[in-house]
Amino acid sequence: MKPAPFQYVRASSIDDALAGLAGHGDDAKVLAGGQSLIALMNLRLVRPAVLVDINRLSDIAYIRQENGTLAIGALTRQSAVESSDVIARLCPLMAEAIRFVAHRPIRNRGTVGGNLAHADPTSELPAVAVALGATFVARSQEGQRRIAADDFFVAPLSTALASNELLTEVRVPVWPAGQGWSFMEVSPRAGDYALVGVAATLRAADGVCQSGRLVYSGVGPRPIRVAKAEQALVGCSSGEATFREVAEIAAGQVEPSSDFHATGDYRRDLVRALTRRALMVALDRCQKGA
Amino acid sequence: MEQVQLTLTVNGTRYSRAVEPRCLLSDFIRHDLGLTGTHVGCEHGVCGMCTVLIDGQTARTCLTFAVQVDGAEITTVEALGTPAKLHPLQQAFWEKHGLQCGYCTPAMLLTAVELLSNNPNPTRSEIGEAMSANLCRCTGYQTIVDAVESAAAAMKGEAR
Amino acid sequence: MSAPAVKDHPIHRRWIGQSMKRVEDPRLLTGRGKYIDDIVVPNMAHAAVLRSPHAHARIKKIDASKARVLPGVLLVLTGAEAVEQTGPLPCFANPPVAQYCIAVDRVRHVGETVAAVVAESRYIAEDAVDRIEVEYEPLPVVVNPGDASTSKGDAVLHPDRGANNIAHQRTLTFGSYDEDMRSVDVIVRRKVRWPRSGAQPMETVGAIASYDEGTRKFTIYANTSMYNYVGWLMAVSLKVPAHKLNIVPTIAGGSFGSKIFTHKVLVLAATLARACGRPVKYVEDRLDNMTSCDNHGSDRIYELELGLKRDGTMLAFGMKVIDDYGAYLQFGVGHHGNAAAQLTGPYRIKSARIELTAVFTNKCQQGAYRGFGSEVNNFALERIVDAAADELGISPVEIRRKNFIQPEQFPYKIPTGNVYDSGNYGAVLDKALEMADYDGWRSRQADARKQGRYIGIGLASCQERSVFSSTEFWFWNHEPGFALTSSPESVNIKIDPTGKAFVTLYSPFWGNSPETMATQIVAEQLTIDPSDIEITYADTDQGLMGTGPGGSRYTVMIAGAIAGAATDIKRKLFKIAGHFLEASEQDLELRDGRVSVRGTDRGMTIPEIALQAYYFRLSLPDDCNSGLDARFTYDHPYTTQPNADRTDLGVFYPIMGHMCHIPIVEIDIETGQLTYLKYVAVHDCGTVVNPMTLAGHVRGGTVQGIGSTMYEHFYYDEQGQLVTANFADYLIPTLKEAPPNIEVGHVVTPSPFTEYGIKGGGEGGRMGVPPALASAVEDALRPFGVKIDTLPITPMKIRDMIRAAQQRKG
Repeated sequence: MKPAPFQYVRASSIDDALAGLAGHGDDAKVLAGGQSLIALMNLRLVRPAVLVDINRLSDIAYIRQENGTLAIGALTRQSAVESSDVIARLCPLMAEAIRFVAHRPIRNRGTVGGNLAHADPTSELPAVAVALGATFVARSQEGQRRIAADDFFVAPLSTALASNELLTEVRVPVWPAGQGWSFMEVSPRAGDYALVGVAATLRAADGVCQSGRLVYSGVGPRPIRVAKAEQALVGCSSGEATFREVAEIAAGQVEPSSDFHATGDYRRDLVRALTRRALMVALDRCQKGA
Repeated sequence: MEQVQLTLTVNGTRYSRAVEPRCLLSDFIRHDLGLTGTHVGCEHGVCGMCTVLIDGQTARTCLTFAVQVDGAEITTVEALGTPAKLHPLQQAFWEKHGLQCGYCTPAMLLTAVELLSNNPNPTRSEIGEAMSANLCRCTGYQTIVDAVESAAAAMKGEAR
Repeated sequence: MSAPAVKDHPIHRRWIGQSMKRVEDPRLLTGRGKYIDDIVVPNMAHAAVLRSPHAHARIKKIDASKARVLPGVLLVLTGAEAVEQTGPLPCFANPPVAQYCIAVDRVRHVGETVAAVVAESRYIAEDAVDRIEVEYEPLPVVVNPGDASTSKGDAVLHPDRGANNIAHQRTLTFGSYDEDMRSVDVIVRRKVRWPRSGAQPMETVGAIASYDEGTRKFTIYANTSMYNYVGWLMAVSLKVPAHKLNIVPTIAGGSFGSKIFTHKVLVLAATLARACGRPVKYVEDRLDNMTSCDNHGSDRIYELELGLKRDGTMLAFGMKVIDDYGAYLQFGVGHHGNAAAQLTGPYRIKSARIELTAVFTNKCQQGAYRGFGSEVNNFALERIVDAAADELGISPVEIRRKNFIQPEQFPYKIPTGNVYDSGNYGAVLDKALEMADYDGWRSRQADARKQGRYIGIGLASCQERSVFSSTEFWFWNHEPGFALTSSPESVNIKIDPTGKAFVTLYSPFWGNSPETMATQIVAEQLTIDPSDIEITYADTDQGLMGTGPGGSRYTVMIAGAIAGAATDIKRKLFKIAGHFLEASEQDLELRDGRVSVRGTDRGMTIPEIALQAYYFRLSLPDDCNSGLDARFTYDHPYTTQPNADRTDLGVFYPIMGHMCHIPIVEIDIETGQLTYLKYVAVHDCGTVVNPMTLAGHVRGGTVQGIGSTMYEHFYYDEQGQLVTANFADYLIPTLKEAPPNIEVGHVVTPSPFTEYGIKGGGEGGRMGVPPALASAVEDALRPFGVKIDTLPITPMKIRDMIRAAQQRKG
């Protein structure tokens, strides 16, 4: 299974990369880690005429704290996120979720930006990005713009990025003190694309839930945030009984489709189970002061 | 199709070649360099047979174009040892029957090299986590974990 | 042939029974094994194939003009062109089913080869494949095996065979089945579904073929087996005399039956090489392999019935089975021949009936997959035994124990006519129960249920037959066809002038351990050191008959062959040594590589004798020629013909191993996911040559069986599209899906008929896992009344069954 031929542009700077994308429009695709792209190319399911290789752009591989914001360069390898003390401290939800991304060798090459721009609805990082209200920074020859996570993921494998734009950075708020978190997923085998995943955050004090986020992968064309379930947390006593009800609401709200690997009903069952379990873990972390 | 100049180090030897951009690193290593210890199983990044170390980290060569690793240092199974002088991991796989057909073995060995370089004292669970990156159809995996555990002890100088 | 004499098994053994490190490993560990894709032949070109996108269609027109002009393309070959040079592929069915290496006028499954390209690189070949334009006329697609009997017109895949898609239909009755069924107290009935999964080794099938114009001979490197058994059949396909084809074996990266006779790939590569005038390498990629391979396994729908007395005594076992063979019949219905070897399992069932309907559908054809149909029968039988236990209120342990064939009853003839050589099923069961702490876990299970946790304890007692006879390939046929009765294995042993042993094998390495087995057995027979033994593999030019690995046969057969050859060598060693030592041969003994006069220290080492043998003819006894070598072809130790009306299939698989698997699992009822708390696998494979490698087959086979039971399914949709056609969708277990500790136990009940009492164990755990795990899941979910009748048992299906049960209640 060999890929079809393509023209190869090795970008030595961001401007280079942007020129490559602008010049070739829809015919060009960005080559970062290639862990999703090259598999599709080997299967000849995609045949880009031009690949713009951005692996030299070390300028956009970084993990930085800028006051209350964590800035992650798009070319940061997933394994760097996995082993980063900064991420462990300042974005534990991402630190937990990243371990579910495929396997280690994929994470060694795969990038944060590449995974997000690929926008597989069963992927972990998009759900995390939506849960955290991330901001995406996109650059083109025309300039730079910021896109909110809620607007970034449009449809399966499709984002708000134009064909001449390069995702350069992802920005998330530094983790607030006292917030619990949990990322969980069910997949057919360890390392497979998830059937359903949940990115959950929870703030609770004195036995009462104050706020939370519940974002799911695998139940729609993009990460699905179930606001109704989140609202059902507010003001309720933190614990199993509340979480069971919230899980029921979440399961009722999502409209997952059926495919060979899972029916809609099964996905709902997973939403129900994972929601309750994730909230229990998030509560525990919240109470421990994380 | 236009060829691109590629320079890289493989098992300590520097190579300079012109390659088609679409040439997969797996094919480059196996056919251009004649190092056939790295195997091909699926060419869509699931099985792990094609694993090598790129700058010390495991990677699937079927999901890498050769041109992407210009300037990198690649380690393949051929660098680990010879029948006359086996690496402790190879010795351990031999003793613990960590292979049957041998097709996944190079990938398993290099994955274990990465694991032990980051974590010289892994638990069986940590070994399993690392080794689960590669499929094996023959062994049922248990003796592979036994082998890595045994090698880890040997490499730390303990007798076991 | 009557039962062979019972063999004497020497007790003192130096090498047999040792967990010796494998001879094969050093080169494999260092990445220096030469698999088919590692081999380079000078001036080699590369092939790729165009796979049919349709499940069933006529090929109206192929336009390869754009492909042919692509730079680097040497040849594009269609089926219509190929058939001028190459005839149909070998087929073991009678009547045969015509199948070609490139489809001629019709495609019958998605993935079937429609055209082939040869180019300077595989990359270019695939580019050219993209440019071939094919006009198809779609035909009705048949995917449901139940529809096959009523298919007509264009839905019939092989109109020359009949008016519908029934490939073969026959009922065989063994013993007084109807009478027994009338005399029972209870008839338990169950329907089970075993869908197709497949071997999927990590290495696909490949071949490098060249045609030498000077010698007018083909040479083909390939990772196939059976080249020294029926390899010449490929010469027939290629329309050359049999001695103008040499097949050279390579090691294989796994097979599990799928590489038993990979004629499609070899014949295609050879056809292309001849047509383009250059050596051609064709190695399947994973999509080629999954859609058009030789490793799809059995695909069966069973209606079962088991007749018992109220006390649980089993009397009669019957089945209606529909088997979906796919588009072609490569091995005939041999998979059902295989099942008949152990149809009634380890039980004293008196009579049986099989109503078999084999059908054609628009899927890849079945091949040989670890168990070759017997593992499916094990599943069916054990499921209905569990159903009977439930219905009669007898424990699954006791119903089995009370029906076991007893040790003193062996050799035991089962209703189908096959014989079981020896066994001690109670001992295996007892050992498994003890290792599993069965009673302890029953108690823990009860406590867990009170806490709302669902633990299940499974149990299966299954036969693992070994060493197939060739009669199973044809005794189901209405007309036998080529009714072969030979399935031997050969070896050649040469002791060289320095005393080193050169051992030539005629069958390949698959991941089994032929070199290690041969080394240990030769070392034992000749009392020499393993390090003085060299193993090589012969091609078909040099080859003696070798049926090869498969059906867990190789170790038993090579042991017999080595014993035969070693006997001849020992005879000559004694003759020469006796002559030099002036002693009678009866006074000599062979020990530690030295022939000495018993009770004295006078002797000659093997190297000393060898040197004399090679160079000093005039010092040897008059009737000795120079040299020291022997070859031996060992036939199956116990095979008999079936009778004419097939009420007795004869003896064809008598070397009978046995296993008991006890998985202890916990099910998360909210997600349907399963975790292993314990896994016990006790196997009785007779005398064990190398306990370490046998345990490898038990564990590896267990995890492969877990694949078929829980994860793997070659799933075809209504249009005949293979939905699970890549490794992302076809779910081979990773390390995390395997039990972390498969506790292997051995019981040794030697075979009376084989060398050293060895029985085969290569098919390993796969033979018993599916019913063991099905019973574990059922046991865990007993409070929900869930029944497991179909595979794979996915978490989603478990959830569906629990949800349905909860809805029924509430």
